[in-house]
Amino acid sequence: MKCKKVYRLLPLMAGGDLRSSRISAVKAHLERCPECQREYDAYILSLETTKEWLEKDRKDWEENEWQRAVQNAVTQKKPEVSTLAPLPFRKAWAYVMMGVLAVALTLLLVVRPFDIGEGMRPDSGVSSRTQARLSGGSLEESQQEVVRMTMILPETGQKIIWFFDKNFTLEVNE
Amino acid sequence: MWMKNEDELVGEVLQGDHSSFEQLLRPYRQGLLNMAYRMTGNREEAKEVCQDALIKVYKYLHRFKRGKSFKSWAYKITINSACDFLRKKKRFEDSVQTQKDLEWSRSPDPERQFQNKEIKDRIEACLKNLSPREKAVFLLRDGDGFSVDETSKILKCSSLSVRTHLSRARKKIRAQFERMNLGYREEVKNEV
Repeated sequence: MKCKKVYRLLPLMAGGDLRSSRISAVKAHLERCPECQREYDAYILSLETTKEWLEKDRKDWEENEWQRAVQNAVTQKKPEVSTLAPLPFRKAWAYVMMGVLAVALTLLLVVRPFDIGEGMRPDSGVSSRTQARLSGGSLEESQQEVVRMTMILPETGQKIIWFFDKNFTLEVNE
Repeated sequence: MWMKNEDELVGEVLQGDHSSFEQLLRPYRQGLLNMAYRMTGNREEAKEVCQDALIKVYKYLHRFKRGKSFKSWAYKITINSACDFLRKKKRFEDSVQTQKDLEWSRSPDPERQFQNKEIKDRIEACLKNLSPREKAVFLLRDGDGFSVDETSKILKCSSLSVRTHLSRARKKIRAQFERMNLGYREEVKNEV
């Protein structure tokens, strides 16, 4: 490790906040580099002295001041207990609502309740959608009496036309 | 004497027992006051910030998540109150420098009073160049002994960010020490 990098890590090293993976490398460098060692000592000194000063200069409330401050806090505002008790946080309810919505949406996509009626229509031997597909036309055209389907063989150019009547009886014309 | 834990005390306060609120905060009253004092640099302002923080703690106590550290939560509210206060007054840069606050030193002993004043001035000199964020990180980690992870939770930032601010703060304090020592040497030279 080079001096430049060690120099950057010294403030954290001095406070014991360096990641353990780097400590040994920094220590090894400090042992062989007196300049960095001096800098490290300076950090230690400044940090320890500041901590000492902060400890010496600690302030405290006078008892009557403290009691008054607490009393003010208590009388100024009553604690707002959530109206949605027992859950203390409205956020929790928001999560529940989001979960319910997600489940509902999933059910909607998977079950598709709108398709059920069409598939279970009693009078449709072949559903109107299937008829439309066979006739090559739209859904409105499937109401016609005869359905025609044309197929052209690519090898011979032969054209086969399929006719279905409404009872689904097949006629073939070549 | 059997001590109630914080969650029990929180529950009692929420049920309307005001005396439990004082018990809940008593262990941290000094720490919170000191944090506010270091942030504002003034006794009266620190008391104002603490009062605001106490009101918020009481008001939003129902939002405190049971099982978490009440200390960290109370510190977070105090730091936010201090930052709000400084932002409103827009005088953060001057606050540390211009305070001539001798009211804390109530010791009748003049020598002790002088020492206290000297220490206070040195701390102010060290902290004056730190940004509010650096100051908060430094005071939490090195002043109150919170871990890097706890500090990151209190300040709602990553531990990497805490380390970065901590590193900058220590560098600035180290530089301030250098300046103070240089100043001292110059004074000695002048006297000689």
